[in-house]
Amino acid sequence: MATAPKEINQPAPEVLLRVENVTKIYDGTVKAVDDVSLTVNKGEIFALLGGSGCGKSTLLRMMAGFEMPTKGKIFLAGQDITNLPPYQRPINMMFQSYALFPHLSVWENIAFGLKRDGMPKDQIAERVEKMLNLAQLGKFAQRKPHQLSGGQQQRVALVRSLAKRPQLLLLDEPLGALDKKLRETTQLELVNIIEEVGVTCVLVTHDQEEAMTMASRIAVMSEGYFLQVGAPDAVYEMPNSRKVADFIGNVNLFDGVIEEDEADHVTVRCPECVHYVGHGVSGHTGMAVGVALRPEKIMLSDKKPKGEYNWCEGEVIEIVYFGAHTTYHLKLDSGKVIKAQELNNTRDLSCGLTWGDRAYAHWNDLAMVVLAQ
Amino acid sequence: MSQATNNKIFSNLWMIAVYLFLYLPIFTLVVYSFNDSKLISTWTHASLRWYEALIKDDDLISAVLLSLKIAGISALMSVFFGTFTAFALNRYKRFKGRTLLSSMSSMPLVMPDVIVGLSLLLMIISVQHWLGFPEKGLFTILLGHALLGTAYAAVVVTSRLREMDSKLDEAAMDLGCKPWQVFYLVTLPLLLPALISAFLLTFTLSFDDVVLSSFLSGPGYSTMPMVIFSRARLGLNPTINAVATVTIVVVTFAVIASSFYTSHQARKRKREEAQAYSDSNK
Repeated sequence: MATAPKEINQPAPEVLLRVENVTKIYDGTVKAVDDVSLTVNKGEIFALLGGSGCGKSTLLRMMAGFEMPTKGKIFLAGQDITNLPPYQRPINMMFQSYALFPHLSVWENIAFGLKRDGMPKDQIAERVEKMLNLAQLGKFAQRKPHQLSGGQQQRVALVRSLAKRPQLLLLDEPLGALDKKLRETTQLELVNIIEEVGVTCVLVTHDQEEAMTMASRIAVMSEGYFLQVGAPDAVYEMPNSRKVADFIGNVNLFDGVIEEDEADHVTVRCPECVHYVGHGVSGHTGMAVGVALRPEKIMLSDKKPKGEYNWCEGEVIEIVYFGAHTTYHLKLDSGKVIKAQELNNTRDLSCGLTWGDRAYAHWNDLAMVVLAQ
Repeated sequence: MSQATNNKIFSNLWMIAVYLFLYLPIFTLVVYSFNDSKLISTWTHASLRWYEALIKDDDLISAVLLSLKIAGISALMSVFFGTFTAFALNRYKRFKGRTLLSSMSSMPLVMPDVIVGLSLLLMIISVQHWLGFPEKGLFTILLGHALLGTAYAAVVVTSRLREMDSKLDEAAMDLGCKPWQVFYLVTLPLLLPALISAFLLTFTLSFDDVVLSSFLSGPGYSTMPMVIFSRARLGLNPTINAVATVTIVVVTFAVIASSFYTSHQARKRKREEAQAYSDSNK
């Protein structure tokens, strides 16, 4: 009997999950997910980022099998899993509320999925032991969930979802239930464990910091569809629309018109200033565009900058101290308010500016992104 | 005297008044069960003769045993049907007739027992006329008590189901449970406390009931409340005081034991949570 020919010319990154034109409509009218397609490669940590009601959780729940798509298909490792119930998918999920079984001990929680698979007892014990070590919870094996702290509960939830060695791990707001101080350490622990196991992940979050630090690629979602998909730095530094620029981090947006359009630079005239952008853009002279400028890329000074481009003048109306940096709100003569973030790199906090001062904001010619209207 | 002490005296007096109102009748009953006199309201001297009479009173003893049996079986039936009702109302997707079921299932809670008893009686008589059964007796009393109890059990189970995290069901399914496995591996163990309290509640309801039983009972099936009630009409006999005292003692012990147990559990849980919190901060 001939064996199926092996594909030799596989493309370098192996696609694990493929979502094809998936739409989810609730009650016949509400479009929660609108014709979304995406692929997740093996070993990748992929984040779905968006505000509440953007459809990210619905999409995740369709991957897990808790919701069925109205239209479209979902493939895992080439197999159509669109209509498989959750208990037949080699996919496990870590819930935001952890959903640990309160009547079972840590050990039994982790063994729960393995027992359902009918794994022999000695193998279960071995696997659970491994998982407990991974989460550094060995001495808590016999405790009930309520006898653990929040961070420990979270690690139990994580290793419980890893115990069955799923092909795909889904994380629903993995750090959502923890306080800020705990988040940073837990985030690292989480990524370390995931990388040690080498499992492919899709995570859902509304927190851009969480998405940027954990994920290798991010999909920014709004109103049921993807605004932009890319690596964290690409999404942050090269947003493809005002919505993305606005959603990820803080941004100052200027409206203007392309005045000069060359291969190596463009100038954009705005009411407040003229931007000199040090690279070419796809556009033409006279085209209305937006210019996005991140606050941390603006430098403030009380002296008028030289040259005619890339600066503007205004009055300091607000100073917000964050410890590591300070944000100045500058009211320009046109009435527009821009934010500038200055790093507090000495303990002498004043960069010489205080409320009511006139100040000059300037930036270099690679600091901004030109966005089509 | 200051305002505060005034308030304190008043509140203490008020508390004593309430306790007297609640427990003086019961206390009197207990004391008179040890009275030697045949008259229920005249104290002569202490004796156990009515307890002796109680042991020899086969009618009363068999009525108590019948009541216990009915209460036990009907409470089991109530919990069984009540749990399914609660599930249908809370865990299933909206179905046609859900609102109707929801209001109908709580109807026995507000409907006067006399009406429920009467309508059940009429129904049983006509069914018996057409089909030749059921004979009025144990089965019909059980039916009536289970009907009433199901409504109460559904309320108790519903409140527990509502506060349970429905993500637990999803987590179980995610880890490989088929829906029926989710039910008996996760939902049922977590519902157990509610099932026990539903059982105790419906047991008490059934044990206590005189109205439904009177309508639905047949010859040879007199429950304890029915016997007490009928004897009271003929003039009270201190044996009744004795059986009442025995019941009171049993109930009091059960209540005290269960409240000790639950408060012990709550304290233990609190201690463990505090321990987990302080451990994590080390």
